Amino acid sequence: MEDAVLVDSLVKRFGSVNAVDDISFNVQRGEIFGILGPNGAGKTTTLEIIEGLQSPTQGSVSVLGMDIRRQGAQIKARIGVQLQSAAYFDYLSLHEILALLGTFYPKSVRPPELLDQVDLAGQAKMRLNQLSGGQKQRFTIAASLVNSPELVILDEPTTGLDPLARRNIWGLIRQIHQQDVTIVLTTHYMEEAQNLCQRLAIMDQGRLVAVDTPANLISRLGAAYSVKVVLAHPLTDAQIAAFDAGVEVVQGQFQDQNTYLLRLNDHSKSLGPVLDQISKNGAGLEHMEVTPVTLEDVFLELTGKELVD
Amino acid sequence: MVALTLANLKMMSRNRQAAFWALFFPLLLVVVFGLFDIDGVGPGGLSVLDLSGSPVSHQIREDLEAINLLTVGEFGDGEAQARSAVASGDLDYLLMIPLGIDDPDKLRDPDSRLAVKLVYGSGNPGRNQLVDGTVRSVVARVLAEMPGVPYLGLVESQVVESEEVAVAQVSYFDGVLMGLVGLGIMTNSIISIAVRISTYRNSSILKRLLVTPLPIWKYFVGEVAAHVVLALIQAALILAVGVFVFGARIQGNLPGNLLGIFAIVALGSMVFLNIGFIVSAWSRTPAAASGMGNAIALPMMFFAGTFFSTAALPWVLPYAAQALPLTPMLLAMREVANAGQPLWTTWPQLAILAGWALATGVAATRVFKFN
Ligand SMILES: Nc1ncnc2c1ncn2[C@@H]1O[C@H](COP(=O)(O)OP(=O)(O)OP(=O)(O)O)[C@@H](O)[C@H]1O
Ligand SMILES: [Mg+2]
Repeated sequence: MEDAVLVDSLVKRFGSVNAVDDISFNVQRGEIFGILGPNGAGKTTTLEIIEGLQSPTQGSVSVLGMDIRRQGAQIKARIGVQLQSAAYFDYLSLHEILALLGTFYPKSVRPPELLDQVDLAGQAKMRLNQLSGGQKQRFTIAASLVNSPELVILDEPTTGLDPLARRNIWGLIRQIHQQDVTIVLTTHYMEEAQNLCQRLAIMDQGRLVAVDTPANLISRLGAAYSVKVVLAHPLTDAQIAAFDAGVEVVQGQFQDQNTYLLRLNDHSKSLGPVLDQISKNGAGLEHMEVTPVTLEDVFLELTGKELVD
Repeated sequence: MVALTLANLKMMSRNRQAAFWALFFPLLLVVVFGLFDIDGVGPGGLSVLDLSGSPVSHQIREDLEAINLLTVGEFGDGEAQARSAVASGDLDYLLMIPLGIDDPDKLRDPDSRLAVKLVYGSGNPGRNQLVDGTVRSVVARVLAEMPGVPYLGLVESQVVESEEVAVAQVSYFDGVLMGLVGLGIMTNSIISIAVRISTYRNSSILKRLLVTPLPIWKYFVGEVAAHVVLALIQAALILAVGVFVFGARIQGNLPGNLLGIFAIVALGSMVFLNIGFIVSAWSRTPAAASGMGNAIALPMMFFAGTFFSTAALPWVLPYAAQALPLTPMLLAMREVANAGQPLWTTWPQLAILAGWALATGVAATRVFKFN
């Protein structure tokens, strides 16, 4: 079976800005594929090209085996889209909006079924502006399902939600996925990418820096733990050089002057010597965090940036 | 597409405030113009066709001139021309004084049927009644003062025969009412669609529609259809208030000419909706769209002769006014509603409007922006 999405050497320029800068990746049928990246990375631009909202400057994209330039209308009939910031009609109820959207497609799912699926059956007669943030997101996901699509594209489905509502959306996305729907989503959240996505593309400044499963991305780092220490005095170059081979100083003296981020292959072996070094030299340990390596570290490694939103 | 049109209508009706003001503004003007009762003010013009040329007829004329209600003049041409001037509404009152009016014998003789004739159009019944009564008493008094005429022998109803000519006389208010229909349709169509589209664009509703397979033209048709329905409802309301509350008259054969008015309204509103689409393409915010819409609608309102004739405008402006889409729309509506002509006689205006609809439609699809 062909890929759900195939992006080949895609470039999108806005004037002198390369919003998408020569990226290639594929999304397989039946997977949850995530695009992870900071603000302005080019995630939305990439999705909008796939959705047919923008045309590429260069490169080719095919969706469900169809070319976006020539078969846009057929593609639109078979995909579902949740835009990053789209409103719906103010003066229609949820039920009416879904019914109206349904008339735009050759086949459509009945509104009560859709609302039931996203747990909004009780709100069918309400207007969108009467819903909470989480309910709104669930509704826009329901709206992306009116045509029972084979591929659903969600642009930041959980941004701005509290952790509970976010988990609720994850459950919903998994549930949609179980009905043999391919899902492409974007996110700023490492945790979300790691928990939800089977494969991930990491994007930064229009470029694709890695595409792999979350587990592979993490194991590529070759480290198991990351340690953040805050010291009273800065470490000298000699002190850093004295750390053993399994310790890598990823970032020195960031945030405030004396915070260091270290990565350890094996913390049972390396953590003791590191602490010894620090106390021996009177650097004064004020605070320490030891965490398993996450996508956050992968991102830092690949882009030299912290992913904060 | 039908679903979209119905949904649009549903949304419009639920947006109570906007719907209310859209309908209310032109109605307010109808009330204002209706209350001013412009027609009741101002004297009527009376021309005297004097076949007698006697001191008696001069006396009648002199006495009539003393009445504030009338401006008296002479009618130089014959009876036929004078009557047609009344029938066309150019002349309010015609007084014909027959030869022999100064002959008491003839006056006394019932067989001679000698009488002063007053001819007037049916346009202003209130004033007609007043003028009719005044003229009768003036004539009776002058004749009674003639030597040899016994006053009691004269009956007012016999010395003056009045004749009402049914003229499709158009009162100022009747004409203004059509102007108000045109004005209401124009402002509402331009501004409502421009604000709506600009709001939709800002909130990315248009973008959301674009990711569905709905062809763009169907979306346009859905919007236009809903707004045309709104325009027809608005026109019906304005006409109803004008006619039933303020006594405006619509001439011609009623169902036919009324349908004609609605046909013109529908065609005109399409032109203005297209202009609204164009305005929305040029404005970044709904407020800008509203401002720009007004900037187009208000000057057009004046130049197209909504409230007064534009013939008096200086320089090339009267010709420029002809080029505006509201002008042929108002002209056509007044032909049908005020002059009582059938719709097809307005084909030149309809053709101009159709041309406008086509040109603005093409322009709208060219300049329209989804985001
Ligand atoms: N229509 C446009 N005109 C000019 N520049 C644009 C346009 N759309 C996007 N850009 C630029 O392209 C870059 C990528 O934007 P994009 O919206 O794709 O980022 P993103 O990854 O979705 O960001 P976010 O996480 O904030 O949603 C940004 O620098 C943005 O300013
Ligand atoms: Mg984005």
